[in-house]
Amino acid sequence: MANVLLVEPDILLGKTYMAALEIAGHQVQWRRTAQTAIRSVDAKSPDLIILELQLAMHNGIEFLYEFRSYNDWQTVPVIVLSHVQPALRAVSPMLWEQLHVVAYHYKPLTKLNDIIRSVDRVLALAI
Amino acid sequence: MSAGAARSRQQGGVNERLLQAVAEQMKLPLLQIARRAELAHLSGDHSLIEGIELTADSALRLLDNYLLSTKLARVDGSLQLEPVSIAAVMNDTAHQLSRLADQYECELELHLSGRYAPVMAHRAGLEAALASLGYVFIEAQSTRPRKRRPTIKLAAHRSKNGIVAGMFADIEGLSMDMYRRGRGLYGHAKQPLTQLVSTSGAGVFVADSLLQSMATRLRLAHHQKLSGLAATFTPSNQLSLVR
Repeated sequence: MANVLLVEPDILLGKTYMAALEIAGHQVQWRRTAQTAIRSVDAKSPDLIILELQLAMHNGIEFLYEFRSYNDWQTVPVIVLSHVQPALRAVSPMLWEQLHVVAYHYKPLTKLNDIIRSVDRVLALAI
Repeated sequence: MSAGAARSRQQGGVNERLLQAVAEQMKLPLLQIARRAELAHLSGDHSLIEGIELTADSALRLLDNYLLSTKLARVDGSLQLEPVSIAAVMNDTAHQLSRLADQYECELELHLSGRYAPVMAHRAGLEAALASLGYVFIEAQSTRPRKRRPTIKLAAHRSKNGIVAGMFADIEGLSMDMYRRGRGLYGHAKQPLTQLVSTSGAGVFVADSLLQSMATRLRLAHHQKLSGLAATFTPSNQLSLVR
């Protein structure tokens, strides 16, 4: 069981992803904005983050830069689950590596089981 | 190129941008439907089906509102406006949006300060515009961190130019500058109203298109201590027989 931080702005999708991850046996903290996600990490460090890049106010990339600027959170793996198509990524693949983004999923084509598999794969590698 | 052809080409560009924004917006309800159906299978929780139906209904309404906006924009010359009871339209819109607001854990309040004379509008167009705007405000409020259920007001008040009707909420960062920038970006950017919503916010632009057909526009407005987007309508000169 892992402690997963889910950063998802939409209430219906947030509840859905959270329920699916909980069924898979993970503990999930769900936050809707970059600011609340940072506060949440500060209170309890997650084992893994699932992040939407398209957030209201501060976007997911801003969150990543701020998150990685703290020494304690340099290696926490991040899975991007976004409406932004991989081909339209605003950041170069090299920078993704630097930001320790371990997987990128295009949300409309990613099923709940794909997310659960991706989380399990990333956690297995992290051990 | 004649003035008519230039106008038609410009209208074509606007319609294409609006279609892009609506197509982008439609991904969200479709995704919600797909994933919730998947979760219903995974968990065996069939109570999710009711929510799926509501999401589908709201998405269909947004599509209908978009189609109405393109139909009204195609009308040659100016659209025939008629005296419309704004209170009746707002009541119907509030009824239409109430279940969606509940699904998004928001409170929707209808606030009409006093009685109003009928305004000159296209009834179906006005209801579609207010509903489209409402979807975006509900989405915007649900995205924000909160301690309790946020309130969205569907409200009208008098101003020196006429009757102002629109959606209002306690949303930080909602400004004329943000809205103007969004109007320039929609159809090109995935998230033109960054401070407001994480999606394309198509409902705002559909509403503006519908209102433009009625010779008015969406603008930043205030109602009590809330900010919002609203349009000003001219009261009808006829006797106030419609309520």
